[in-house]
Amino acid sequence: MTEWFRNTLSGWQWALLMLVPPAIIALYFLKLRRLPLEVPSTYLWKRSIDDLHVNSLWQRLRQNLLMFLQLLLVVLAIVALLRPGWQGSRLAGQRFILLIDNSASMSATDIDGGSSRLDEAKQLAEGLVDQMDSGMSAMIISFAEKPRVVQEFTSNRRLLRERLASIQPTARGTDLAGALELANTLAAAGKSARAGSDDEAAAAEPPPPTAYILSDGRFEDVEGVAVDHLKLAYVPVGSFDAPNLAITALSTRRNEERPEGQQAFVQVANFTEKPQKAVIELTLDGRFLDAAELRVPAGETSGRVFPLPTGAVGALSARLKYRLDSTTRDSLPQDDIGYAALNDTGTGDVLVVTPGDAALELALSTQRAARLAKIAVVSPATLESAEYRRDAENGAYDLIIYDQCVPAQMPRSNTVFVGRLPSASTWRQSHDANDNIDEEGNEEHAGAALVVAPQIIDWDRASPLLANVELGDVEIADSLVVRPPPGGTVLIETTAGPIAAIAPRENYQDAVLGFEIVGRDAAGAATANTNWPIKPAYPTFWLNVLEYSAAPSERHESSAIRPGRPVQLRAPAKVERLTVVAPDGRETTVDRSDQGTFPFTGTDQPGVYQVRQGAAVTDRFAVDLFDRAESDVSVRPTQDPESQTVRPADVRIGHVNVAATTDRAPSRHEIWKVLLACALFVLVLEWYIYNRRVYL
Amino acid sequence: MLAMPTTTINLLPPDLLAQLERLELVTRKVFRGRLKGERRSKRKGQSVEFADFRAYVPGDDLRSIDWNLYARLDKLIVKLFLEEEDLHFYVLIDDSRSMDFGEPTKFEYAKQLAAALGFIGLVRADRVRIETLGQGLRQHGPVLRGRKSVWRMIDYLNSIKPGDSVPLAEGIKNFCLRNTGRGVVVLVSDLMDKSGYEAGLRYLVAQRMDVYVIHLLSQEEFDPDVKGDLKLVDCEDHDVAEISVSAPLLARYQRALNAFTSGAQEFCSRRGMNYLLAGNQTPVKDLISNYLRRRGLVR
Repeated sequence: MTEWFRNTLSGWQWALLMLVPPAIIALYFLKLRRLPLEVPSTYLWKRSIDDLHVNSLWQRLRQNLLMFLQLLLVVLAIVALLRPGWQGSRLAGQRFILLIDNSASMSATDIDGGSSRLDEAKQLAEGLVDQMDSGMSAMIISFAEKPRVVQEFTSNRRLLRERLASIQPTARGTDLAGALELANTLAAAGKSARAGSDDEAAAAEPPPPTAYILSDGRFEDVEGVAVDHLKLAYVPVGSFDAPNLAITALSTRRNEERPEGQQAFVQVANFTEKPQKAVIELTLDGRFLDAAELRVPAGETSGRVFPLPTGAVGALSARLKYRLDSTTRDSLPQDDIGYAALNDTGTGDVLVVTPGDAALELALSTQRAARLAKIAVVSPATLESAEYRRDAENGAYDLIIYDQCVPAQMPRSNTVFVGRLPSASTWRQSHDANDNIDEEGNEEHAGAALVVAPQIIDWDRASPLLANVELGDVEIADSLVVRPPPGGTVLIETTAGPIAAIAPRENYQDAVLGFEIVGRDAAGAATANTNWPIKPAYPTFWLNVLEYSAAPSERHESSAIRPGRPVQLRAPAKVERLTVVAPDGRETTVDRSDQGTFPFTGTDQPGVYQVRQGAAVTDRFAVDLFDRAESDVSVRPTQDPESQTVRPADVRIGHVNVAATTDRAPSRHEIWKVLLACALFVLVLEWYIYNRRVYL
Repeated sequence: MLAMPTTTINLLPPDLLAQLERLELVTRKVFRGRLKGERRSKRKGQSVEFADFRAYVPGDDLRSIDWNLYARLDKLIVKLFLEEEDLHFYVLIDDSRSMDFGEPTKFEYAKQLAAALGFIGLVRADRVRIETLGQGLRQHGPVLRGRKSVWRMIDYLNSIKPGDSVPLAEGIKNFCLRNTGRGVVVLVSDLMDKSGYEAGLRYLVAQRMDVYVIHLLSQEEFDPDVKGDLKLVDCEDHDVAEISVSAPLLARYQRALNAFTSGAQEFCSRRGMNYLLAGNQTPVKDLISNYLRRRGLVR
């Protein structure tokens, strides 16, 4: 339905306005008094005027040009007030909810004219707002990973437009379900509030508000969301052919060949329909580091490993440089860059809890060990102190070595147990499960089997802990049999069974040596349990332990943080406040929470964040948009069975199939602005003519 | 020169006088002056300057027979001499109200021009008469002759004022009736007569005078500086023309003006009259020494 005009004034206002043109004409008919001027002779003037009288109608028009201009001005103003427009259809219903997707994929610039999808969506939404009649109200919700109510229900179109313009693109994923739930709840709330306030209105039962989903459809079908208070309409934004290449992973890890070095792994996904060649440029703190060309098959990913310089610290970023071809551009430049944080691996905090073990302490007192970690040695009695408990709970240490002792609770750090099994039940359960060993030994060894003089058969040479460690000539007096929980790896296998193993626990690694280095007899005197400490492999092993387990960077290595997700930062117990510096230089102060961590939520911006204690940078973490769903920006097409044309795919919400309205959201094109501009121009022209007397 | 009235300075500034002293009025036609002047006429007559010989015919003055030639040739040959004569010089000033416009007014300008031309004539002992169109049939302007009459001329010029408007044709007709003698007449007028200037000029032609028409227009007429919606009132007949000034109107005015002046020029040149368009911004000195000299009125 096309509606050409929309009324904006009430009756008496029109009446007042309609008086203006007759007034102008009347003023002109009450002809202006001409200024008398005596001239020598009107002889020549008469002849000139006679000439002019030839086409007098035109002359009269010319003489009244100012009047016609004024009338034109008024007419333009009147027409502008009628808000002429076309291609608009009247919005049905009373209330609308505009759900605007501002996830990362909406930053894609595949709209004609190079504007982003979000801009297009905002424009479409503005078209909807423009069509609202008085009495209609609308609400705006933007959604990415979390929905946000941009504007509550209001009929103020100007406010709606203002709030609409305030929606900013984000680098987050898409969660339509949350937005729908929110919209549904708010719609239901509005309804019940109405019902409560007015019984008659409740009886009339207003139609459910229409929710327009302005999105590119880059989300999973929404399951299990009840949208019974909403009428849904899906307005797809974007094109089917939005070529894009993205960095979908950038991680750093220990160089497998050279354990002291690190390497970066970059993965590039190709979301186009042709194989692409791309150049990956790796920079560290803005300095060029390395570059490599990569071929990515159509629709697939491929990766590349870059060696990193030893001891490199800072913000690592990988940038994708490529050309699709002369006409098409990369649709989403935001995902052409990936970040990773390279942290100082130099010194970790290591706590050694030992009743006194000269061999261990000696091995850890080498210069190289001191370079790798700060080592504190305490006695097992400390395990009871509140200070230890707090530090263990906060993860203040990167590695705790429990020599012949077991903490009541496993700490938040990597551990190495020497001669004891960890208190974590998994180590013992695994034992129970394979239990074919008699249950003897004291209480500390409950559940563990003590074997005498086990002969080492094999050890895991591939494990970083045992790199370059030769155990062939090591003899052991007695040892516990160590059976790791599922996921763990046996490190040393003997004739009597495994005596050393390593297993993951949450984000940490627990390594267990089943045998004591220095045992104690009943009198408490130190006894040598093994000849390992006099072998060269012994200090090497402990250095491996320090290198592998005490490096603080291990904490964030595993996962990059997605934009908008909170980060739990850790710091030593004495620190109460951290400063986080965002990639754009914005600083945020984070206080310690009740849980002992520092929760930081301002991770909207992709990039490398610095964590500072005072002025010193203690940590870095990277926030990355590594989301295949967001990077694959092309709108999902579907074949229309009737017309055999390709149109945006429908979205499934709950059990409802919401069809994509291909013929765009009903948006009204209004020309009142143009008309007012014309009116202004006419006004200026009239003024000019009046002043300059230049008629035509 | 003795003490002059102040107005003299307006009409005849000293530097102009110095220039005018060197000029004389010229005519292309042969006129009979009533008195001997300083002018060498085209007519043969009695003077000391030899002109030509011709054969005697009965009736010729015997005194002019060249007896030496008779003795030599046995033929009667008459010796002809150039005649010296005076020139009747008229300046006819349009004294209608329309001349009283401009800065200086066209009338003032016309008087200045008349004084200058009259001075030339007086210096060369011509017979000078200055008249206006508004003069009645019986009213004559003074006849001036000789350098001593300069004061009378100036007094007379100062005494005339723009008066009642007499149609151009009637004014010229009266002039012709008053002055039947032939001579040089300089008409200074704006020719702005709604009934047309042609009839008036024809009278002058019929008089067989050597006519110079100085078409005098003010700057305001050449390039009217008017704006807005105006009611133009004719100062002579109080005729009203309502105009809204516009670029096309001004363009049409210019066209009308051009048609008017070129029409007048064509009319004059067809009838052997000298036409000169003059603006009141051109100094009289320049007008005389450049334009009129080129036209052959002065030498």
